[in-house]
Amino acid sequence: MTLQRTVSTGELVRDVIGVLARLGLAAVWLISGFLKAVDPRTTVVAVRAYQIFPESLVGIFAAVLPFLEIALGVLLVLGLATRLAAVLSAVVLVAFIAGVISAAARGLSIDCGCFGGGGDVAAGQTAYTAEILRDLGFLALAGYLIVRPDTPASIDRLVRRRSGEPA
Amino acid sequence: MAQSNNKRSPQGKSGSGAGATAKGAQPKGPSPKNQPATGGKGKGAPVAARQSVAAARRSSNSNNRTQLIIGVIAVVVIAAIIIFGLVLNKKETAVQGDGYGASTQSVATVSAGVVTVMKAGAAPTETVDVFEDALCPVCSEFERQFGQQLNQAIDQGQLTVNYHMLNFLDARSFSGDYSTRAAAALLCVAEEGGSQPGLYLGYHSALFATDTQPAEGGTADLTNEQLAELATSVGAPAAATDCITAGTNVAAARAAAEESSATLSAATGRVATPTVLHNGAPVSTTVDWLTTLLAQ
Repeated sequence: MTLQRTVSTGELVRDVIGVLARLGLAAVWLISGFLKAVDPRTTVVAVRAYQIFPESLVGIFAAVLPFLEIALGVLLVLGLATRLAAVLSAVVLVAFIAGVISAAARGLSIDCGCFGGGGDVAAGQTAYTAEILRDLGFLALAGYLIVRPDTPASIDRLVRRRSGEPA
Repeated sequence: MAQSNNKRSPQGKSGSGAGATAKGAQPKGPSPKNQPATGGKGKGAPVAARQSVAAARRSSNSNNRTQLIIGVIAVVVIAAIIIFGLVLNKKETAVQGDGYGASTQSVATVSAGVVTVMKAGAAPTETVDVFEDALCPVCSEFERQFGQQLNQAIDQGQLTVNYHMLNFLDARSFSGDYSTRAAAALLCVAEEGGSQPGLYLGYHSALFATDTQPAEGGTADLTNEQLAELATSVGAPAAATDCITAGTNVAAARAAAEESSATLSAATGRVATPTVLHNGAPVSTTVDWLTTLLAQ
């Protein structure tokens, strides 16, 4: 009966990657959500520029999106329901990527407005490929957390430890 | 490792019998009938097995419940933040002075390409400089949100507004010079019909209306003839529409835009619209900026 708990190297590496993925994705959501939330006029313009939603829905979408992003960021920072937050993150990111691809395919020249700003830009000033690659990177973080949602310094792990489950 | 081994060992040792019990018993709860079948081999085994199975089930049940609770809390957190956001957003984007409508008392005068709008004969205590580009979509949002409130403050003789029309978005317009031509049209209306109460502000609002303003990078914008038609529709005199159609003020508008850009750069370090300056300093145009400014 030894009470010592030996942590394998693999476990340690997984923990480090997990916590970096979680906090990294959290930072992405909190920053992008905050930048959109503080400038609602610009966010409306950015959403409208995609020409996806009818005018009646542009306002409500522009109002909800920044705070959905902030909510996902908060859950990830806390490590509360990490897998759920990661799944929702992936859904939102896939929607963003689809939006950018659709804008590119329709020949619009817009800024994605991913981190605030946004709206139309001059032809030749678009950065669709970079925007999609960046979103794919974020999607990879979400994917990792869906597979391995258990990370250190999270409410999830705290609760699991307290309820006596091995981590 | 050691710890988790200790935990798992009873189950592992009890062999296939315990596994069967666990599976069979799961839906109904512990069944005494199964006991003889599994208890055939060792004396201690059945008890240990039953206990461990019960423990595992308890743990698994409580674990499921914990997961459910965490999920529910997470959904509540998301909903609460979004509802908070919607309330905040509604407050931040609320149309100010809603219901006031068009200006009825304002007159406009031109000085060095800058249009000054105030109530005729009044001596307003506050003056703001508004920098806009006719093609700028956020200016359209600004106009939608604050246009009526500005009309009201001007009509009540509380406020003077200097409109500086910029043209840095020319290159993004379909014609390549929409911002300049729209600024020229506004100069025409101010010069030829500025004394007509509310006319300049009416034309200004019409230019920024969502269904009138051309899109950046769009496939069309307004020709001078269309700009003149729009002026006629808000009551501009023939002298103003002739001036717009002929493009009389295009050069003047371009020069004024250049000068105003320099003023704006000097004050804020960049050229971005819409920007409001009060006593030469930029105003953060949050929802209550004008109310606050007038209350000073």
